[in-house]
Amino acid sequence: MTTTTWHVHDDLLAAYVAGRLDAIVGASVEQHVARCADCRAATTTLVDPQLLAQGWDAVRDTVQSPALPLPVRLARRCGLPESTAVLLAAATSLRTAWVVGSFLALTFATLAVVLAGGELLAPFLLVAPLVPVVGVAAAYGHQQDPLETLVVTAPYGRTRLILVRTLAVLASVLPLTILLGLFLPGPAWIAAAWLGPALALVPTLLALSSFVGPRIGIAVVALGWSAVVLFSLRGLPATWPVGATQQLGYLAVAAGSVVVLAVRARRDRRIGAVL
Amino acid sequence: MNAVELTAVTKTYGRTRALDAVDLTFDRGVTGLLGPNGAGKTTLLRIVATSIGADSGDVRLLGRDPHGSHAELTAIRRELGYLPQELGYPGDMTAFGFVEYVAVLKEWNDRRRRLREVRRVLELVGLGTMATKRVSRLSGGQRRRVALAQALLGDPRILVLDEPTTGLDPTQRADLRRTLSALGGHCAVLLSTHQTEDVAALCERVVVLAGGTVRFDGTVTDLVATAAGRVWLCDDPGPDALVSWRTGTGRHHVVGGTPPPGAVAAEPTLEDAYLLMLGVDAHDVRAPA
Repeated sequence: MTTTTWHVHDDLLAAYVAGRLDAIVGASVEQHVARCADCRAATTTLVDPQLLAQGWDAVRDTVQSPALPLPVRLARRCGLPESTAVLLAAATSLRTAWVVGSFLALTFATLAVVLAGGELLAPFLLVAPLVPVVGVAAAYGHQQDPLETLVVTAPYGRTRLILVRTLAVLASVLPLTILLGLFLPGPAWIAAAWLGPALALVPTLLALSSFVGPRIGIAVVALGWSAVVLFSLRGLPATWPVGATQQLGYLAVAAGSVVVLAVRARRDRRIGAVL
Repeated sequence: MNAVELTAVTKTYGRTRALDAVDLTFDRGVTGLLGPNGAGKTTLLRIVATSIGADSGDVRLLGRDPHGSHAELTAIRRELGYLPQELGYPGDMTAFGFVEYVAVLKEWNDRRRRLREVRRVLELVGLGTMATKRVSRLSGGQRRRVALAQALLGDPRILVLDEPTTGLDPTQRADLRRTLSALGGHCAVLLSTHQTEDVAALCERVVVLAGGTVRFDGTVTDLVATAAGRVWLCDDPGPDALVSWRTGTGRHHVVGGTPPPGAVAAEPTLEDAYLLMLGVDAHDVRAPA
């Protein structure tokens, strides 16, 4: 509401809009303009419309564009391109809650092993390789990707999207898991040995998923790995699941899966991607 | 060069032949695909949208071969907008977030330009004020419009719309018609529908598909003209009519067959012509009342 009949002179208003006034005069003009509708209206003709539109666009960008989850924001700080961040933000397993949950599960497994005093490694060996692989499966989104039909026909490419998300999930959980592995009792190589099955299970899951979808794929992989760890509990040494011979087996499975994936990806490149 | 050129395109699913040696070309303007369920409409649209490949025949999109190199396929996809018949929506995404996500998949990498484009297409489908609402909170018609918005990203040269009018009320349908007719000036719009009114109001050209083959290809007026003298209004259902139904006035609208006694010739509609074109298949479309 206008409480005064006095209005800012045109020249003064122009100087104010252009930012040419000193602090004191500028502040008093601003005080007046904030309360006087007539003077506010007079400024609109003086402001560059393009500048105004840019200002509004920036406000809308901030309000309308969805906020990125914390793990993705951290990745942005480390140089992740902004457009890739948008794609990653849609993945369930890159949300803050998921990453925190993974960390808690791993911490409890590590704690169990530490309290058992080196006799039992199974809890850690069971959980550590499964955390990244479950994360990769969940990165497809619930019920695979609801946008599947669009992803397939988009220039970005489905294979590229899956690989980018897989790498992001691995980057989000592997450093923490490696860190926790350092607390394990027993030989020092155990801290890194679980990486063998962990890295083998991921291509296995991707290869399986390309046939049966990530839901069944992850069920098969999780049951398979659990079976290996549980088998080792029947009188075998605690480090058996990550022993040298077994690691070679995992390597063979991983290599086989990569070959399957490569063949599938070539078909994916052709029209009519694998659904 | 036509935007879309299909020559002897065939696609089979198991024993079902969804498309049987279809020859069609499309260029700028809105073309409507009509046909009963299972006629091959969706298969045809999916082939043009590069979602599936044809088993045999030649497909040329914007002069390029989608079965060719990866670079060629990507070049086509950059100029293509596609609204699938069914689309899942991640429930926790907002309308804006959804369209933005697709925009990134369509390689809008510059943030400012991308967000401006997302706003533009949401305005275009009349959802400018709904942008920050979650997709799960939107009505069926609004969701359909969100899906349409993503297809319009980047002003594509080929726009493939599989039943875009499903779930829209008459006002929204009229808005869609306005949007599409504006687009038809510079882009090849290909849409499928069950609604003959949509085709009559919107499309310069109509293609009737049945059993995987093209039954008619021409203008809407030409299709309507094929029914001239074969539609009547009378007091009886008509002994050998293809289809007939009782209208609100109590008289029977009789399509095809021989004119019953006392029949008065009626102005044929696009639907009458469409039903006659399908012949015996028409019973799949509209069961006689």
